[in-house]
Amino acid sequence: MKNTMKNIAALFLIFVFSGSMANAQGWTVPASAKKKQNPYEATSKNISSGKKIYNIQCKSCHGDPTMANMLPLAPVAPTDLGAQNFLVQSDGEIFYKVNKGQGAMPAFEKTISDEDKWMVIAFLRSFDKNKKVKQQVAEVKNPEVTDVKLELNVNEEDKTMLAKLSGLTDKGKRVGLQGIEMSFLVKRSFGYLDVSGEDPYTNETGDVQIQFPVDLPGDREGQVNMLVKVTDDAFYGKLEEARVVTLGVPTDPVNPLDERAMWGTRANAPIWIIVTFVGGVLAIWSVIFMVLFQMIKLPKLAKSKD
Amino acid sequence: MNDLPKQKETTLSFEKIKKDILHPMQNHKGLELWIVFLITVISVCGWAYYIQLKDGLGVTGMRDYVSWGLYIANFVFFVAVSLVGMLISSILGLLRIDWITPISRIAEIIAVAFVAVAGLVIVLDMGRPDRVLNVMIHGRFQSPILWDVTVITTYLTVSALLLILPMIPDLAICKKELTKASPIMKKLYNILSLGYINTPAQHKHLHRMIRTLMVLIVPIGLAIHTVTSWLFAATLRNGWDTTIFGPYFVAGAFVAGSAALIIAMYFFRVNYKLQDYITELQFDKMGKLLVAVCLVYLYFNLNEFLVPGYKMKTGDDIHLKELFYGNWAIMFWASQLLGNIIPIILLVNNKFRKPLPIMIISLFVLAGAWFKRYVIVIPTMLHPHLPIQNVPENFVHYYPSAIEISVTVLSFALVLLIITVLSKIFPVVPIVETAESKGIEVKIDA
Ligand code: HEC
Repeated sequence: MKNTMKNIAALFLIFVFSGSMANAQGWTVPASAKKKQNPYEATSKNISSGKKIYNIQCKSCHGDPTMANMLPLAPVAPTDLGAQNFLVQSDGEIFYKVNKGQGAMPAFEKTISDEDKWMVIAFLRSFDKNKKVKQQVAEVKNPEVTDVKLELNVNEEDKTMLAKLSGLTDKGKRVGLQGIEMSFLVKRSFGYLDVSGEDPYTNETGDVQIQFPVDLPGDREGQVNMLVKVTDDAFYGKLEEARVVTLGVPTDPVNPLDERAMWGTRANAPIWIIVTFVGGVLAIWSVIFMVLFQMIKLPKLAKSKD
Repeated sequence: MNDLPKQKETTLSFEKIKKDILHPMQNHKGLELWIVFLITVISVCGWAYYIQLKDGLGVTGMRDYVSWGLYIANFVFFVAVSLVGMLISSILGLLRIDWITPISRIAEIIAVAFVAVAGLVIVLDMGRPDRVLNVMIHGRFQSPILWDVTVITTYLTVSALLLILPMIPDLAICKKELTKASPIMKKLYNILSLGYINTPAQHKHLHRMIRTLMVLIVPIGLAIHTVTSWLFAATLRNGWDTTIFGPYFVAGAFVAGSAALIIAMYFFRVNYKLQDYITELQFDKMGKLLVAVCLVYLYFNLNEFLVPGYKMKTGDDIHLKELFYGNWAIMFWASQLLGNIIPIILLVNNKFRKPLPIMIISLFVLAGAWFKRYVIVIPTMLHPHLPIQNVPENFVHYYPSAIEISVTVLSFALVLLIITVLSKIFPVVPIVETAESKGIEVKIDA
């Protein structure tokens, strides 16, 4: 009996304590929101797109999951989103927090689509040690290597691109690095277009080959700026290779400001609008001036008594 | 038209009409005091404008989100009120509706005063008013702003002509009768009356010009408020992105203008002792007209809010919920109920179409119209399309600053001053037309 009481008291204390811990950060997540589950499966594709979104949107503050290299913000630093004591939360709880934000944590309700947010959560889940079905994404059994090299081979005939990732073992042997995700990016006006395809992981020989899209517009000569990189610099540091390739469809650039359009400069106003405006103004004001002119006649009419 | 019991016939002669209408212009003690009061208000508020000019628009409540605030709402209101000139003196005038004769000039005075100050309000809203000419010099034909500037200038010109031309016979009378007028005024009457002595040829010629302008002002009047609505409707913003904005604004303008006219009629009737001219018949008819335009406006409101409210599409939903039961609900429902629905219910009853009650109701309608413009302009500005995060607190709320309110008071005082001055130097009720409509012979000596 006494033991039971003690246990209950202990449980109660733990409960209150953990509650106050949670409240210390002041998140209140409604029960209905907590129940939500990730509607997307934890496939390697979803996890990898989640990782890319994470790297763009979250990493700057939260650092790499499990690495605890977050930005030291005060008063509350961003959480390590790969830490086990964070991942005990339900999908719905995380989703809610990402949507609503708090303090320095922005609200992503409107700025990231729901789908993308679920992808990020799928990615974060891949670090969860308690998940039964665990995706082995980042599990790479590569030997310790130095002098990691990224080589790029472009085949302009059939529009393919081959990247090779290799490193020197301590025995001085160059070996291919396996299972590393690569990103093939095409520069556009704002940011990059990802053309990596479904499965951009290196094979046993450290190779990954992608098919460049056949319909992507390039400049007049069909050139595009490529950036090929190891998606995650957590493994071997920053490894990337930029190159101008002639894989795009040759396209004459059109400047939308050169045509006559609503958004154009005055000189480029559509003809119909100039005609309507000037015509309307001339028509109305010629009547006004006609009336003003008629007014002059009024005094003269006083003499012509008819 | 006259389905009311006839006014008791007072024996009016041309002499009496002249005396009744011209007398208060020169012998009204309160008028000078009122003018002094208005000028004081304008000077005090002019100080606020000076501060704005000196320190820039930062002294207003306007920030990155709400860059159209009180000033623009007020501008739309002024443009709306000014449309009454086109409604009364030209649409009803062309239809040869006779009861408007004694009030058409008041309508035209209101039109001129409000549209002139509306244009000025835009300049007051500019951070660099010294660059106002750039709108014309660098204006793009594609921009509704250029159209608006053009059409407002045109409406002001034609309204002024429509004020002066029908007044020419009266001015000829002023020239003769107002012997106590200052030399400047005498000169003005002399110039503006254009040697009019009411010969048949002059009469015919004058009325042909007036008729031309009355036709001309119909499209201009429609354009002025339609284009003002396009300043909003030509954007993609929720709440403004609707196809009925043009006619919706025009309908709302008729409501505001009619209410303003009724209020002005009441004050001229009482202060200038014009009970024999601006009679209960005019109030009764204006009351019916107000009900009619209110009903049209109500119909447009139904379309404007029920249809998107039924669909609640993304983006619109935030805006509409804010109006229906959010932060803007009180202002929104007050303007709908007090400014439109209740006035309709009251005014169908002829007891409420007597001068005093209808004047009070019109005050509510006019205030409702003003707040309605505020509700049209600001809530939409508060919800920009791109959600921007971590903006300063004062971006997401808008409260007009004291400076802004003072400058707005200035614009109202200026309108009242223009109306007052015009009604002091010009007869507010047409003398000759009134006599003619009563079959009294008119004689103007050379
Ligand atoms: C501007 C920096 C910043 C960015 C960018 C950012 N966060 Fe945060 N995040 C924070 C901070 C700071 C906190 C801690 C807030 C608190 O608890 O008051 C936080 C907290 C969180 C929490 C709650 C952690 C907990 O302890 O329950 C989650 C979940 C989260 N962030 C997810 C994300 C995701 C997902 C992204 C990217 C889509 C992201 N954050 C982007 C700063 C950021």
